[in-house]
Amino acid sequence: MNTIVIDHLARVEGHGGITVEMEGDTVTNVRFDVFEGSRLLEPLLRGRRYDEVATILSRICAICSVAHALTSLKATELAFGVRVSPQTELLRELMYRGESIESHALHLFLLAVPDYLNYPSATALAVDKPAAVLLGLRLKKLGNLIQETIGGRAVHPVNAVLGGFGRVPAFDQLIELRSAVMQGMTDADAAIDVVASLPAADFCHSDTLYAALRSPNLDSYYAGDEVMVVSKGSRAIIRAPEYQELTNEKAVPHSHAKHSTFRGSPFMVGSLARLSVNPRRLTGRLAVAVKRLKLVLPADNPMDNNKAQALELINDVERALELIEQLLREGVKDERPVPVHPRAGTGTAITEAPRGLLIHSYTYDEEGRVVSADVVTPTALNAASLELHLRRAVEQCPERDEAVISKRLQMIARAYDPCISCSVHLVRKR
Amino acid sequence: MKPLLVIGLGNPLMGDDGIGPRIVEELRGNPRLPECAEVMDGGTDLLQCASQIEGRSRVVLIDAIQDGSEPGTVSVFDESFAGLDESQHHAHGLSAVEAVGLLKLIAPVPFRLLGISIASAGVDRELSPTLRAAMPTILERVVRELAVG
Repeated sequence: MNTIVIDHLARVEGHGGITVEMEGDTVTNVRFDVFEGSRLLEPLLRGRRYDEVATILSRICAICSVAHALTSLKATELAFGVRVSPQTELLRELMYRGESIESHALHLFLLAVPDYLNYPSATALAVDKPAAVLLGLRLKKLGNLIQETIGGRAVHPVNAVLGGFGRVPAFDQLIELRSAVMQGMTDADAAIDVVASLPAADFCHSDTLYAALRSPNLDSYYAGDEVMVVSKGSRAIIRAPEYQELTNEKAVPHSHAKHSTFRGSPFMVGSLARLSVNPRRLTGRLAVAVKRLKLVLPADNPMDNNKAQALELINDVERALELIEQLLREGVKDERPVPVHPRAGTGTAITEAPRGLLIHSYTYDEEGRVVSADVVTPTALNAASLELHLRRAVEQCPERDEAVISKRLQMIARAYDPCISCSVHLVRKR
Repeated sequence: MKPLLVIGLGNPLMGDDGIGPRIVEELRGNPRLPECAEVMDGGTDLLQCASQIEGRSRVVLIDAIQDGSEPGTVSVFDESFAGLDESQHHAHGLSAVEAVGLLKLIAPVPFRLLGISIASAGVDRELSPTLRAAMPTILERVVRELAVG
């Protein structure tokens, strides 16, 4: 038996890895191990007061901090029957766009592009191709600026609270932000140029099931509670309170994350899933970009998730501009958060975090203390689908060279944009 | 804008990994913090601090480090980060070492890293008893380092 082990997946040591076992040319086993922080953090929530939960969960991940915080607020508000104002919905949606821009820029330009061009890191890429790295850094900064302007702080924003916003952005801040976002349009177009110029990455084909929030105009990552699952020729809808019909989580011995399957099949979440579930918005600049990237939906190549992220950069910037203009047109009211009165109950929120569906479900007692909490992240939802695609990639690789197979597997895992051990940040000595 | 920015990096939910933000908390409002310094909690993604870094005269990072030394040991690295591993320890972020390499492209500011040795990091909202006990000594050393121009 031959075994391929990639224990430094995505340049991560210790907590993530891929193992492929083969008998001759037959793949007998593929394992993707993921250190999935949210599940391990859930015990920390039991017994906590409702107003502490979002702050704790926002620390699960640096890049998806806003998604965790706002999904947490939504779940708690649903549990207590709180309805936030339309202005709060707009501001939260805008923060989501900022986070998506930031996250996609980081993943595409500082992590994926170096892989495609055979550079070991973004710093190495910057020596030969500084323009691509600077483009990524500019877009990431734009995403951060949106989150900071609305959220009040660059890192772990504080303005979004239960029932609304503790502080709303001033008119002048929104004017400045609009100007930055308009400049970002050019950078988003340039992102398409860079991605269109990358060498083809065609390592495996497999009919794929996609799951994403239903948003026909791709204008809602935050609101909404219907998940649509699509594959070639079939579709199904699951509402948030019934999320376990989608997830059907099962513990697997080789991974910290449970595996999810829908009616027995793995499914993919994230940018490619969002575009596959909601293709109607792909008009105008987006339609031109789709052609340039030669993307055909529904896709059967998981590497197309990188193309989908580039397309979403355009959509996110366009949508952010629309939201800012709507806020300027209607005028931002200095409204106070809706009062929150804790009660016993359960709230389940589903949103589209940068890497896909994010589910927070809490049950509170009558004093508003957490009785149970379930947090299901995109990385956990994707784990079974990633394993399937890794298996197909080995089966469909015409070469049996371990280095070639390893590189392909790493690039596929990267295309899924997994969050493997983002909850720690220590530096190690060589 | 104050010329010196001190950024604590790490995750307070992950035990001793959160030492950077904890030190920043201790420094905030501390009379011994140099007048020229501003502190911020940088979470676990240094690149998010890009706009705060631009325009500063220098930046000091405080981050947990696994180097086998006695927990609580403070080691000072200049921006060559000699001996440190630049590879990432999370999938969609960059290590402080690699992030600094990229930040220098947009903000040519001198960086220094104060690495606080830790034994391990795991899910815990508290620092280990060893690091808690070492905190006064660590703070003393950090304050002295910040006073160095």
